[in-house]
Order: sequence, then C-alpha cells, then structure tokens
Amino acid sequence: MLKYIIPTMMLMPLTWLSKNSMIWINTTLHSLLISLTSLLLLNQFGDNSLNFSLTFFSDSLSTPLLILTMWLLPLMLMASQHHLSKENLARKKLFISMLILLQLFLIMTFTATELIFFYIMFEATLVPTLIIITRWGNQTERLNAGLYFLFYTLAGSLPLLVALIYIQNTMGSLNFLILQYWVQPMPNSWSNTFMWLACMMAFMVKMPLYGLHLWLPKAHVEAPIAGSMVLAAILLKLGGYGMMRITLLLNPITDFMAYPFIMLSLWGMIMTSSICLRQTDLKSLIAYSSVSHMALVIVAILIQTPWSYMGATALMIAHGLTSSMLFCLANSNYERVHSRTMILARGLQTLLPLMAAWWLLASLTNLALPPSINLIGELFVVMSTFSWSNITIILMGLNMVITALYSLYMLITTQRGKHTHHINSILPSFTRENALMSLHMLPLLLLSLNPKIILGPLY
Amino acid sequence: MLRRALRLRLGQCLSGRGLGTYRGGSTLDCDGKVSKIKKKIQSIFPGRAWSPLYDTSHLPPERSDVVIVGGGVLGLSVAYWLKRLEKQQGAIQVLVVERDHTYARASTVLSVGGIRQQFSLPENVQLSLFSAEFLRNINEYLAVVDDPPLDLQFNPSGYLLLASEEGAAIMERNVKIQRPTHSSRQEGAKVCLMSPEQLQKKFPWINTEGVALASYGLENEGWFDPWCLLQGLRRKLQSMGVLFCQGEVTRFISSSSHMETASGEQVTLKRIHEVHVKMDHSQEFQPVECALVVNAAGAWSGQIAELAGIGTGPPGTMQGTKLPVEPRKRYVYLWHCPQGPGLEAPLVADPSGAYFRREGLGNNYLGSCSPTEEEEPDPGNLEVDYDFFQEKVWPRLAQRVPAFETLKVRSAWAGYYDYNTFDQNGVVGPHPLVINMYFATGFSGHGLQQAPAVGRAVAEMMLEGHFQTINLSPFLFGRFYFGEKAQEHCIL
Repeated sequence: MLKYIIPTMMLMPLTWLSKNSMIWINTTLHSLLISLTSLLLLNQFGDNSLNFSLTFFSDSLSTPLLILTMWLLPLMLMASQHHLSKENLARKKLFISMLILLQLFLIMTFTATELIFFYIMFEATLVPTLIIITRWGNQTERLNAGLYFLFYTLAGSLPLLVALIYIQNTMGSLNFLILQYWVQPMPNSWSNTFMWLACMMAFMVKMPLYGLHLWLPKAHVEAPIAGSMVLAAILLKLGGYGMMRITLLLNPITDFMAYPFIMLSLWGMIMTSSICLRQTDLKSLIAYSSVSHMALVIVAILIQTPWSYMGATALMIAHGLTSSMLFCLANSNYERVHSRTMILARGLQTLLPLMAAWWLLASLTNLALPPSINLIGELFVVMSTFSWSNITIILMGLNMVITALYSLYMLITTQRGKHTHHINSILPSFTRENALMSLHMLPLLLLSLNPKIILGPLY
Repeated sequence: MLRRALRLRLGQCLSGRGLGTYRGGSTLDCDGKVSKIKKKIQSIFPGRAWSPLYDTSHLPPERSDVVIVGGGVLGLSVAYWLKRLEKQQGAIQVLVVERDHTYARASTVLSVGGIRQQFSLPENVQLSLFSAEFLRNINEYLAVVDDPPLDLQFNPSGYLLLASEEGAAIMERNVKIQRPTHSSRQEGAKVCLMSPEQLQKKFPWINTEGVALASYGLENEGWFDPWCLLQGLRRKLQSMGVLFCQGEVTRFISSSSHMETASGEQVTLKRIHEVHVKMDHSQEFQPVECALVVNAAGAWSGQIAELAGIGTGPPGTMQGTKLPVEPRKRYVYLWHCPQGPGLEAPLVADPSGAYFRREGLGNNYLGSCSPTEEEEPDPGNLEVDYDFFQEKVWPRLAQRVPAFETLKVRSAWAGYYDYNTFDQNGVVGPHPLVINMYFATGFSGHGLQQAPAVGRAVAEMMLEGHFQTINLSPFLFGRFYFGEKAQEHCIL
C-alpha cells in the first residue's frame, strides 16, 4: 500500500516546488500515473482479500472504489484549471494540496483494516472537503452549505466512534479481517438496537438517506467543480462502503432494524426523482439525482442478499463516474454563461455539438440505458428487492421512469431548442474539457464489457 | 438563560439612567444595544446570511442571473415580465439596482403621465395598445395577496393632436397607420379625424384658427398616476422574489474574445462578468457576478453604456457607435385658470409644440412645450425656468385656448427625457458586440406609456432569443450603425 500512499504524499512537494507554468501539467500527469498503478489492485485472490500489511488490505469491494478515487484526482485537477486560473499562485497550490490531502485520506479510508483507523480517516476526509467548499465556492451561501455539511456528517458519525470503542472492548479487536471470523450473532435488546443505530447512522447521513439529505444539495451546488466531483463520486460511496463493512457485525438484528430505513429510501428515491423534475438549477438537479441513486444503494445494502450487494457495488462505481461527468458538463456550461439556471443556456447542441454528444452519453448512462454498468447495478437491485418483497417493483419501476424523465428533461432543456441570444458567442469546447469527458466516459463504457471487476466480493 | 441575561443587563441600564425623564442622546443606549445583540445572534443561526467579519445585509448578493441597472418603470417592467415569463417559479434570480430610492430625479415620477396610441410607427401603436390594456387590467397583473388594489387614477380623456395645413397630410397618413386594417390581424387605435368645424362644436373653448385637421383618440388614451404604477410594480416584484438594491453601478468587469464573422472580418465580442455596485456615501462596493445585464438607466443610459465600453472605438465602426441617449430637461408647469376647459378636455397638443391637460377637479392644468434644439436647457440640474413659460408656452396656449389668457402659475417642476438623439424612439434588445447587455431605454418622453409592453418584449428577447408578441426589430441597437432611422414624428 505504501506504493500508493508515498507517491500521493509526494504529489504535495511536487505542487509546491513546481514552476508556475508546470504545476497543472506535473500534478495531472503524476496523478494519472498513480492511477494507472492502482490497477495492480485488481489482482485479487479468489474469495480472500489482498493483504498488504497489518494495517492495509483491499478486497474486491474496496478495489473498484480505490481505482475510482485514484482515477478521479487527475480529472479533478483538469476540471479546476479554468476557474483557478485567476487566483494567485499560493492559492492555486493550496487548492491542489487540499485535493491531494483528500486523496490521501480517501486511499487510507478504503484500505483500512482497523476500524478505528477507518473512522479517523473517514472523519479526516471532511476537513479538506470543508475547506474546498467554503473557501473556493462561488456564493455567499457556501458558508451555510459548509456548516450543514460539516455538522450533519459529524453529528451522524460521533455515535459510530462510541460503538466502535464498545466493540473493541467486547470483542477485543477491531481488525476487520479478524472480525469477519470472530463475529457472533447479536441478540435482540434495546442496547443492541442503539448500537445498530449508532453504527449505521454515520453512513446513512453520508449516503445520504432521504430524511437526512439536506446537506447534499447545498454542498453540491455551492462547491467548486472539484469539490462537487469528489463529493458525488467518492464521498457518498464512503457511506456505502462503510455500511457494507459494518453490517457484518450487526446480524441478525438488521433483519428488522433495517425496515424503517428501507421504507425511507424507497420513498425517498421517488421523492427526490420527482424533485428533479421541478429543478431550475442544473447543479441542484444533478445533486438530487445523486440522492435518488444512492437511495437504491441503501436499499440494496440493507436487504443483504448476494445479488443486491453486487448491484450496490456496481451502482456505486457507475454512479460515481456518471455523476462526476454530469457535474463537469454543468460546470462547462457555468463557465461560459455564468449562470446555473437551465433556461438561460439552451440550444447548445447547435453551438457545441461535441459537448452535446457528451451530454447525451452522460444523460443516457444516468437513466441506466443498457448495456451500461448503471443498468447492471439497477437491474440487480431491482431483482433482489423484488424477491425480497414483490411490491417494491412498482416503486422501482416508477423510479426508473421518473429518472428517465428528468434525465431527458435536463438533456432537452440544455441541448435542444432554439438557443438564447446571448450564448451565440460562447467559446468553443476546450480540448481539456473534451479530454475530461472522454476520460469519464471511457471507463464507463469499457466496464460494460467486463463488469465482473465491479461486482464486489460476492461475485 | 440568554433572555434572562439580556433582561438583567437592561435592568442595570435602566437603574443607571435614574428615574423619570428620558434624555435623548444618553450614552447608555440600552434598547439599541440589546436589539443589535439580538440581531447579531439571530444572524448566526443557520439559514440566515452571516458573514463572520461584518454585517453585509445592505449589500447586494454576490451573484445574480440578471442585473437590471435602473429601478424606474422600464427596469421594473423588464423585471416583472422576466419573472412572469420564466417557465418555472424561481428559475431566474433578478437584481434591480437603483441609485436613488426616493426617485427624486427619475423620469418616471416627474412625467406628465399621458398614454396615447397616436404615433407614426405601427410598433409604437402596438406598444401603447398593449400598455393600455395592461393598465386597464392592472389589478389582475399586479395583484399581491392581502394588499389593497391599485388605483391608477386613469383619466380616459384622450389626446387631441392638432395639425396645421402643412401637417395635415402627415396626420392623415399617421391615422391610417394607427387604425386597424382589414389585412393585419393586429388591433388598432380608435382615432377619429375632425375638421375645424367639428372641433369647434365639440370643444367650444378651442380657437381653431390655423388648425386644418385634428385627430382625437377615443379609447385607451388619457393620463394616469405614474407613481402608483411604480409602487404597484415594486410591490409585485418584491412578492415575486426580485431583489432590490440601492447603489450605483460604477464598473463592469468584462472579458473580450476575438472572433471572425462568416465573411471573414474580425470582431471583438465582449461579455460582462461582474457589475460593481457602489453603496451610497461610502467607498464600499459589491461585485455582483451576473449572466445578463439590462440597461434601463433612463436619462443616464449613455453613461452606463460607456462603462460597458460601448462607443469606444474608431468612429464609423460598430465598436465606435455610441448609445445616443442623453438627458434632456423638460419643464412641466401647473397653473390655475377658473374659466378654463371643463372635464371633457383631452390632452391638447398644439401644432406649435405646446400641450396641456387638465389636472384634478379644481380647474388646474398641467402643460408645457418642448423647446427647440437651440433653446435646449442645460440638463445639469432640475431648476425650473419660469421665463420659458412666459415667453414660449403661455403665448401659444393663450392663442389656442383664449381662456388661458388669465391664468396663474401655481408651481412647476423639471424632469429628464431619456432623449434618443438619433430618432427619438426607444432602444431595445441586445447590443451586437457586448453580448449580454440588453437595452430598454431611450424612449424620449414616451417611455412611461410603453413600459409594460417594452418590458415584455425585452423579457422575451432575453428568454427566448427573439420577439414573440410585438416585433421591435426596428428598435434594435444595430440601426445606429446602419443609419436606419425609425423616426417618430409625433413627439410631444
């Protein structure tokens, strides 16, 4: 694992010591190289996990998330180049350092063996994200957004600390590999109920669960593009990953404890999809669509069947790439028109046809068009929830219809129709932007050829 | 516990002040301090605007989709129609920046308030017709829940334009344009042409010497209270979520990009990124990031256009074409004449340029005359020149209406026309080179009466990209460069 951590750490001196003209090139190139080395993780041994050391391990659940994390850093750097071009040098380097720090914490979170280490890194990811949102966001509301983000996730995860320390005291170890074999069924009692809640709430808030999702639209909308990308693509998946790990310890009370959250998620997924239909702000629409997709993941993880776990993992990776790409597209719009309102920048297809192609692909994967991995994820989740309870298929089917509706609504409003007057002189698409979109799309399309690497440990 | 602590502090303050009399200016301003503390605590709670360093509630927001420079009737009308024509509620953020919230020098409130359809351009007729319909149904357009309905005090007395021998043919032609034609589906104005004998019979107080033809508007013409329209629009806009800000626009931050037209010539297109709004009586300013800017600054539109870089370039090119709107001072005099025309008197416009209308029910009249180019008063201030009335206005009025020989001037005021020196008609629509600046200005004295329709046209242009209801293409900015005048002949 040091072969990933040390190069990532050394990216920091690289930014601070590079020449002015070379900071972006150096950091992007080197982070791209690091992401290529991450593919080594795919060499998994059968059912077991790849143990690097006593403190780090990776199995087929954390591997795709790790590769996604490391793939995203060069993309974030490419996306931030334009809006940071006006800042002074120290600020630029500070921003890149925040991104690298975040990357470091995320790598360590996904590979942590010891659950307390996981918790510490989980909380540590909040700090650079908060700094990115509140310092480099665009509006005054970003202070509010940062506050919501910080306190929601912090308040949700403090009980997790208590629960983890309790487990350490009772079970003797929090090493995840050992815990897999030492775990005993949890008897049903009030204190165990609270412990279940304590363990799960942190990840529910992070996912986010429908009732606790207020921080997400704010944080996504107010964050700069790199912040939005990392939030949508990775930080939400931290919740999913944590839930998948911690449910190992919480049998068998999950069977009945999960009911309220499954209900909330099923209802929430339809509610947030419907909200998307009424959004006027483009980033807000994509943020609510994230909530909707993550609600599917929550349902999948809570019903705990092999197929649902496979669907959840696939959906997490697919959604990470798609959502990040949609935010990049929205940002390319924003940089030209300086407004996030959808109706002020319409008819872009005639002006930027290649960007329209990326918009089309992103919208199609967002609505889970076959044969993309989005469909694989959603299909597995739908099938497993159907076998869990027949009625859920109505809700899932309704959600898929509404998802298609708002994805196409977003596509048609921004791309089709007659363009407004003031956008007939926008700058054409930069190569950087096209490269960004293709680097998002390429893994997404290639994974549909070999989805078994993202189907998680139960494949 | 907090409230107890506050009350304790208040109690200490009171006992410190002693019994009995309140002395103004006491150093222990307890009530003020307590309310300041409470306001500060309230602003820290999430959901309120809070800046940790200083109070910024008086500043405009840091960004807004549309910034409208100028809070007069045209600016507010554009804001109203933008909010009304947006597809979903709350889609567009609109900020109206007005330098003076007392509207002391704004053309809107200093205007005579007349509305007529008797113009020589069909577009002007359509604009006034729609505005008349808007004003007629103003309580449906500008209804706010729980607020009393607006009373515009619309006097539908009509306009009476008089023409001498030379002008009679032009007047007949204009009336033909104003009336509805069988081929066009558009409505027209109801105007009737009168000979001097009919004129004498209808309005016995007129001296028809020198009058060859008169056109009298029968419907949708008259005058109303512009202040009421302004307040109604403000109220409605506040209920629709438009932000108002008091400040002066001092700077535009823009970026240029060089592009080539289809024929290969180089153009430099500009895009305004930020509007710097400076607060009153301080150096504090707020950069407002915006997507669109509307120049509705009335008489000062020329200055705003210069700030945006319009007209800085070699003369004779599109870059060098300035916005030809400048302030022109016009006087309005109020006089009392006990034997003057009665309640049926319309707004009478003499062929010499003098006009008057009845004001109220006490035999008071408003009127004035547009000065010729040589006699233009200095627009530096709004001082009234009573000699102008004595020498220019009174003789013409007395000649037309003999009863006005014995009149007594009660008061007078002066206001600005946002005078378009090119062709005295408004400028609407986007600027060809500064991509995101739209104009709604330059109406040279008939802006108030066309404001609702112009607002709708500009909002359609901004949202859809073309005029949908009334085609105002003759009023686009490009005509200043190409030299295509859309001349309005009936200017008062």
